Parts: sequence; structure tokens; C-alpha cells
Amino acid sequence: MSVSRLRYAPLHLSRPSTGHLPATPRYPRACIVAKWLQSRNLTTGHHLAREEAIPLRKHLKDEAKRKKTESKALGGSGVAKNQKIDARLKKWELTVGIEIHAELNTACKLFSNAPAEARGVQHAITPNSRVALFDAAIPGTQPAFQVATLLPALRAAIALGCEVQRTSYWDRKHYFHWDQPNGYQITQYYRPFAKDGLLVLRASDGVPASDLNGAETLAIGIKQIQMEQDTAKTTNLGSSMYHIDLNRAGMPLVEIITLPHIHSPQTAAAVVRKIQSILKAVDACVTGLELGGLRADVNVSVRQRGTDGTRASYSGVGGLGQRTEIKNLSSFKAVEDAIIAERDRQIDLLEGGGVIAGETRGWTLGATETTRLRGKEGEVDYRYMPDADLHPLVIGKDLVEHLRQRLPALPGEVEAELEQSYGLTQKDAKTFLDLDDGDRVDYLEAAVAHTLSKLGKSLGSNEYENQRKVGKLAGNWILHELGGLLATQQRSWADMAVTSQDIGDIVALLHEKQITMRVAKQILADLFERESITETSTVEQLVNAGNLRLRPLTEHEYEELAQGIIDDSPDMVKAVKGKGQKGKIMWFVGQMVRRGEEGTVEPEKAKKVVERLIGSVEVS
Amino acid sequence: MLSARSCWRNASKTPYRHARYIVAAEGRHDSLDAIISFPDTQSGEGAEEEQHGQATISSGLAGKSIAVKDNIVTKDLPTTAASRILAGYASPFDATVVKLLRQHGAAISSKTNLDEFGMGSHSQNTNAGPVLSPYSRNGLPLSPGGSSGGSAVAVATEQCWAALGTDTGGSVRLPAAYSGVVGFKPSYGLLSRWGVIQYANSLDTVGVLAQSVEDARQVFRSLDVFDAEDPTSLPVSVRQRMRLQNSGSGQLRIGVPKEYNIQELSSSVRSAYARTLNALLAAGHTLHQISLPSTRRALSAYYVLAPAEASSNLAKYDGIRYGYRTSGPDALPKDNLPLYAQTRGEGFGEEVKRRILLGAYTLSSEAIDNYFIQAQKVRRLVQQDFDRVFAQSNPLLHADTSNSLNAEGVDIILTPTAPTLPPTVEEVKRQSPVESYMNDVFTVPASLAGLPAISVSVPLSGQEREGLDEHDVNSVGMQVIGQFGDDESVLAAAKVVEDLYY
Repeated sequence: MSVSRLRYAPLHLSRPSTGHLPATPRYPRACIVAKWLQSRNLTTGHHLAREEAIPLRKHLKDEAKRKKTESKALGGSGVAKNQKIDARLKKWELTVGIEIHAELNTACKLFSNAPAEARGVQHAITPNSRVALFDAAIPGTQPAFQVATLLPALRAAIALGCEVQRTSYWDRKHYFHWDQPNGYQITQYYRPFAKDGLLVLRASDGVPASDLNGAETLAIGIKQIQMEQDTAKTTNLGSSMYHIDLNRAGMPLVEIITLPHIHSPQTAAAVVRKIQSILKAVDACVTGLELGGLRADVNVSVRQRGTDGTRASYSGVGGLGQRTEIKNLSSFKAVEDAIIAERDRQIDLLEGGGVIAGETRGWTLGATETTRLRGKEGEVDYRYMPDADLHPLVIGKDLVEHLRQRLPALPGEVEAELEQSYGLTQKDAKTFLDLDDGDRVDYLEAAVAHTLSKLGKSLGSNEYENQRKVGKLAGNWILHELGGLLATQQRSWADMAVTSQDIGDIVALLHEKQITMRVAKQILADLFERESITETSTVEQLVNAGNLRLRPLTEHEYEELAQGIIDDSPDMVKAVKGKGQKGKIMWFVGQMVRRGEEGTVEPEKAKKVVERLIGSVEVS
Repeated sequence: MLSARSCWRNASKTPYRHARYIVAAEGRHDSLDAIISFPDTQSGEGAEEEQHGQATISSGLAGKSIAVKDNIVTKDLPTTAASRILAGYASPFDATVVKLLRQHGAAISSKTNLDEFGMGSHSQNTNAGPVLSPYSRNGLPLSPGGSSGGSAVAVATEQCWAALGTDTGGSVRLPAAYSGVVGFKPSYGLLSRWGVIQYANSLDTVGVLAQSVEDARQVFRSLDVFDAEDPTSLPVSVRQRMRLQNSGSGQLRIGVPKEYNIQELSSSVRSAYARTLNALLAAGHTLHQISLPSTRRALSAYYVLAPAEASSNLAKYDGIRYGYRTSGPDALPKDNLPLYAQTRGEGFGEEVKRRILLGAYTLSSEAIDNYFIQAQKVRRLVQQDFDRVFAQSNPLLHADTSNSLNAEGVDIILTPTAPTLPPTVEEVKRQSPVESYMNDVFTVPASLAGLPAISVSVPLSGQEREGLDEHDVNSVGMQVIGQFGDDESVLAAAKVVEDLYY
């Protein structure tokens, strides 16, 4: 509700005056219901102040920071407050269920052919310019379901492991508010189109170890996904005037409802994050939480561990405490912080002998407490009823199968693929996915393919192992060597000139022991300095030009080189022989690499020779 | 039978001629408040020419003046649904049925008065002033029937050649019966509802009021096309299937439901009904007693479902985008006044408010199971009742109906349209809302099942008219109901009934 939204023009729907005079533009009349609405929280979430978009990498950093502080706290640095919290959490168990609303990536609205409001478009779209008659609830108009909106919704349902229902229905959810011109929202209350999904989370998604309980994954049930209409955008001008932009009214949303399977604020945030990344990966949604394309409501309850709470039951999960609902959370941080605050408030209340009331609460960013919006008595009875104008939604199995087969790989699947087929660690696999919108995954695949084709049959017959070996090596180079250069040179991935083919060449040469590690690093640095990939210096050319190819020394040459250094350094020999400082062996190896001609000394061989020779030296 | 016929022939007036005669005799030149708005006379003539120029389909409707109920939107005339909340509302588009009439060269002569949003059976609940029947009893005006009372009276008094009405639970058939004209409600989904202001959208249909079955058929056939704008418009494939199965004319198997022989049936209506059945028998048709056991409960179900849908459909009237809005603030936090309560409270009439409240209650989480859900079940039973008795199977339930003819079944059902002759408006005023709902007991079942039904006026015999003065009605409505999609058979059977007398 920032004043900066003033740029929106007033509502321009024609308002017929008396007789047959041409309709004149009508401006909203001042009204004084703002406070009343606020008191009922009937203003919907989109007009909450939005945070700036936070890139995923910043999220990862924040998460790492959080983990650090968390581990410090657990490490018992002795902060009394933390100990107190720990004790309380040992006694009380938190249970959370989440409802996520996400705007679908479609060309038109759900029940009219008005074009969808493109998010993230730089130039502002004239308010109330994308409004069909039905979107403005003009008398005598009817909804026209737009089949195309079903496709992103189905992709979301399939990606979240749901069973797509053959027949689902449309219902009207009634409440009065000016952001909803018909006086009801069309949704799927009684029979949603998708049910019984599953979301699998891992530690790398941000699930704390205490939630994983030693397992690798944590499964959160998805109760259902339903399609529904979005509301209009309301802009508050001062205390008594609103401007309404119907461009968003009737846009298609999916509402994703999880089961109350979540037991920590961190996991709750991880669930929202994971769902967002899945929706993005399958192209179901265009924007994430921070741009207002996604918002979450959370249901929070606590119970004493080992008890049945107040024997409440939600979505078939029983033995829980009385829950409260916190609405309209529009960032990951808000989800986590609001749950922490509400959990602590409920525990305080219960420990003080109080009772939790089933109510709807709100949360504003930076607050330390949730605030009551309305209780049971203020609850709106939505009077759900089937919409008789709309046919049941019938979805054929063939369509679902078609979409399932063409579904882009999901983040979890790619992660597993990177670990299994490319030999990456879980941590590295996750990093690959998170960086540069997953661009490095494609890069890795291309590099590995290049290396494998270059090496050909010399690799042996176990293709699986070959790919793992090469994958691991290439992964290291892309993530750590190339990553290091990007960091020190402060370059972005997008304007970096090293190609996947270059990495593939380097890895192939390394594998064949044609160059040493040292040489490989040097070549990479040279390639990195190139202005663009149009410069024709290939890895092969650089190696040849610098005469960098490894020319294996004979056993005798190794011995000569080693003996020279041993003779020159009696003190170091003494350190190894007399004091048993085995580590100093590597000093000799380093000297050998340095003294030898560039790219000729293999450290492993050198080490064996040094060890043998020093072993035979007599120490006086 | 002959005596009744000759008696009528001697009178040598069709019912509407009688109505016109009465109006003329009493020197009344007003429109009996049947009309809410006329085209501007100056621009009207020009507009009429323009409309004739627009005709793209050569049709018997060319040049005919057709009135349109004021809950069907028109671009050139305001559309108010007889409600203050839509005072002066000008629609940005024409309803599909209006567009079709124009394409056939008809002139939209006026917008007719109605019970606000179609809610009522006597056309008295209107912001435009109650509609007056051309008939009276002992000096007291009679009910013209509702909710399409304006359309019925406009046809009866020849203010138009034919009129469009809407029928949700009998709103075309009842005023046709009370005003002595023909009122046809087609199968649900045949005529487009795009541009028809919704009352109870699972029941709403566009209907035709005319002076004869033939005229009604002509208007109906001009409008009977698929419309992509109306999601409930029957698709072309279903229409083709239904056309194939229309039962031929000739000898009719006529169903006589025993449940319609109710206590409330007045003696004159009972007598006219029996007389008509005998005449049909004499003409070679056969009569068959049938049972429609859910009939009684149908009325209750209707008065749960229709208000429930109304409470939802009328939620859009908030005074923000169009229509009436209160002059002061519309919600006061300190008074705990709900949003829009002032505007809606002032904008809606009493009956509309009653039905919105009733509907809001029956949909509430505490009541929905006992009311709305139960009523839906009854609605299903009513449909099953009809499917059991008709020879044709329901084309919506069976894709292939060629082999599913029920040899024991009937072609059409004949019933009175209403249990009594029209009451006076004074009697209507004294009725409780529930008593006034009783009027719809014979028309509601066909609406719940979405079936085609027509009311044809049958002249009262001298005996039946005994005790009625010359200004009173001289006909009574008989209703023909057919299987879903069998509209042509219903019209043909109505013609058979009409031909008994005229």
C-alpha cells in the first residue's frame, strides 16, 4: 500500500447514467471502509509491501549464515536465552501446514480471453485495460473456461507428484470485497483437480538435521492443488480512497495445500522454496514469492510432545493442538519468522495456563509477534456452492501422460542425476543447480560429453564408471577452478569466455596425463583472460605453443633430479629421517617439479622416488 | 366437447382480443405498466429503419415488433431488471437473443416490466410500478402473473406482436396462463442466456410469449442456435441428436399425473382440465395416468435452490462499477455495518432481499447439508420421475436413444398451468410469501428437470365462467410438458390443444 503505487489511474469502467446517455467515466467515490476492512483483513496480500527480489544465491548465503549461528547456538556457547528456547522446544512440538498461491504462466485469464497481466514487464500496463466483460461482472455475462490455463496447472500437479483427477468441479467462494467484482471467487473447493502429492526435501534444501532424524530425505504430503481466480489489485490512496485495477482480476492461480507434516520453521521455509523452484522448473509459474507471483498462508499449532494436543485434526492428521492461521506471507523469511513468532506466542500462552483460540492472524515484516485479525465470530462463511454455469473439468489420462513425458527435469531429479551419473557430492550437485539458474549443469554435461568422445575407447568398457570419473573431474574444474577465477576476477558467469569444450579438452589431457595439474591451471587462467571465444587459442594450441605437454622422464632422470636436491639439502633430509617429519617429503617433490622442465615431472612418481632415495640415506 | 367449442366460437374472440376489447372498452390507453422503457420516439423511427436494414436472415419475424423482458440486456435501451439497484443501467452489449431478433429483422419495441430480477409470480414486486392485468374481478384488478407479467400483458393487449420473457420456475407460463396468451419455456440450454441477467442460473431460460402457438414457434426457431458465449448452451452435436429423436405428431400418448390432482385445484380449473382431456380423447389421442411422486417436494426444493443461486448471482451488485449506490458512506466501522449493506439495502426490493437472505442461509456451513444438498437430491429425483414416464429417453443421459424407447411411456404430459384462476392483486397482498409460492407448484417440476413446457390458454365454458363478471378472465392455462430436447413435440401438442378451440 505504498504511495508509490499512485501511478495507477483510477477505475475506468463505464458507468451508465440515467437514460441512454453515453456512459461517462466513473471515479471511485471516497469511502471510509478502509479501517473496517483492515480490521477484518479483507485486504488481500498483494498489496502488502513487497520486498525487493532476492537472488537465490543471496538466499543460500543467508541460509549458510543462519546455519552457522544455529550451530554456534547449539554448540552451547552459553546464551541463556537459547538454552531456554531449547528446553521449551524439547517440551513442545510445532506442527505446520502451508497453503501456497501461485500465479500460473498463461496467456489469458482463467474464465475470459482477456490477456494475462505479464509480470516483470518493465513498462506499466494501463490499469483496467485487460478486462473482459465477465472480469468486471457486467450483468448478463458468463465465464468461459480457457483450456490453455490447464496446462501449467497440470505440469505443477505432475511435478508435485499429485494424482490428477479425471473429473473436478468449480465452486463459488463468496465474500464481499471490491477486489472481487462478482462477489465470489471461482475455485475448486469440493473436488480439486489434483490430490495426494508428495514433496521430498533433503538437508541441502535447508531442512535442519533435527527434522531429518538421521534420514536422507523428509517427505511432506501435498493434500491437494486447486485452480482458482486471482483478485483485482487495490491501491490505497490515503485513508479513504482505493483505486482498483481489474487487470489482475480473474488471472489463474493454483493453490497448493500441504498436509500438516512440517515441524520446524526452517523446514516450512524450505517447503515454500522447494515448491517455488519446482513450479519454476516446469514452467508452471513465471515469478516467485518476492515478485508477488506467490504467497503463502500458514497454519500453526503446538502440542506437548507425547500428547494428543487438543485432539484437533486437520486434513486427516489427528492429535494436534488448536491451530491458528497466518495469512498473506510474501517472502521466505516472512514464512519462517512468522512461524517462529506464532510458535513462541502459543507456547507462552499455554505455559501461562491459557487456551489457544482458532483465529486468523497477521504478520508484518520485522515484527516480533503475530497480531490477531479476526476470531471465529468474525469468520466469513464463504457459502461454497457449485458454479452451475461451468461444466465439470474432465482431464483425460492421455493428456496427463503426454505432459508427464515432456516434463522438464525437476530440481531434485537433476540433483540425483548429478550425484549418480556425474559422481558429484550432494553439496556440489546442489551448488551446480543453484548457481546461474542451473546454467552450469548444461555446461557440465557438454564438457563431459566432449571429454568422453575425445577419449573414446581408451577409457575402457565401463561407461557408467567412465562418466562418473570424468564427471567428477570436470565438476571440480567447473565449480572450483573456474569458480575461483570468477570470484577473484569478479566476472559473471554470463560474460565468461571459457567454453565447455575448453574444459572438456583440459579434462581429457589431464586424464591422459598429457599435462600436469599446474599446466592445466595455467591454461585455464590464460583462456579466462581471453576477450572472447572468437579468439582462436584453443587448449591444444596453448599446450603446443608453450611446449607444455608432459614428456615423461625416465626412472633414471627422476633419480638424478631427486638426488641433486637431496644432496643440496641435508637439513631437510635430517628433518625427515631424524625427526620423522614425513610431510617434508612433499617439499622435495615441490622442488623437483620446480627444477624439472615445465610439465615434465609428475608429482606422484617424484614422491615415490624421493621416498626411496631418502630411505637409503645414512644419517650421521 | 362440441358445446364448449361452439360456446367459444360464439364469443368469437380469442382471449387476447377479449383483453384488447376490455382495455378499449374502459378507455384505458396506458400500457397497464407492462412496459418499462420504449425507444426514443425521434431516434426510434430511425433506429427501426436501421434495424430493418440490419436484417441478415430472411424470416417471418421481419418487421414484427417484439418486446423484451427488462432482465435481458439491450444496448439501445436501459436494462434495469425492474430493480432500483440497476436504475438507468445501459448495457455495453446486446444479449444473444436480442442480436438474433435483430438479425431476423424484428424490431425491439420496448422493454417489459417484471418482478424484480424475476423473483415473483404476480409482477407486483417491481421498482417500475406493479403490472396491471387487463382483467379485473368485481372492480379489483387481477394478477397478470409473473415474473414476465409485462411481456404477457404487452402481448395480450397487442402492444407488441410477441415478447421474450424468462422462465426460472414458471415465469413465462404462469403470466401466459393468467393473461390468456401462449407462453413457451424451451429446454434448458437451447436459447442462449448470454446477456440474460441471472436469477438462478441453473434454472433460468429465455421463453417466448405470443398470441398463438405458431407465433411462439416462429420466434423460438429463430433463436434456437448454439451460442459459444453461453457455457450452458447445448452443443451442436447434442442438438442434432435431439432433432433426430423428436417424436412425430399424429396420435399422442398423453400423461395425466395423479399428483397434480391437488386439493388446492379450483373447480373451474379442474373442470377446464377435464374438458380438455376429454376433447383430446375424442380427437383420437390416448390418456395415461402417470405418477410423478416427487412433485410436492419439488416446490420446496425449488425455493431452496433458486434463492441460493440468487444470493450468489446478485452478489455482484455492489454499487461500485454500475448501477445504484447510496449517497452517503457505504460501511461504518463504528456501527459494525457490513460492506455494501447500505447500497444493497436501498437498492433491492423486499422479495429480492428475502430470497438473498434465504439463499445465504441455506448455503451457510451450518445449513447447507440440510437444505441445499437435500434440495439437489430432490431435483435429481424429479428428473428421474420424468425420465421414467416419457417414451423418449433423456438425450443428456443416453447418447444413443434410438433403441431406448419406452413403449409404456407417454409423449407429453398435460397439466393445468396453475391451480387457480388469477387472484386479485389484493388477495396477493394478503398472501404470505410461502402462500404465494404455491402458485408455482405445477410449473416448477419442469424447470427443475430443464424440460420444455408451454402454457396454452383454453377458453372457460359458460358453466366454468359462472359468477365471473365480463371483465374477468375467460380462459385458463393448460401446460404441455415434454422430454428434454423434445421441444418441437411440445409445440406440436400445444397446437393440437389450441386447435381444439380456435
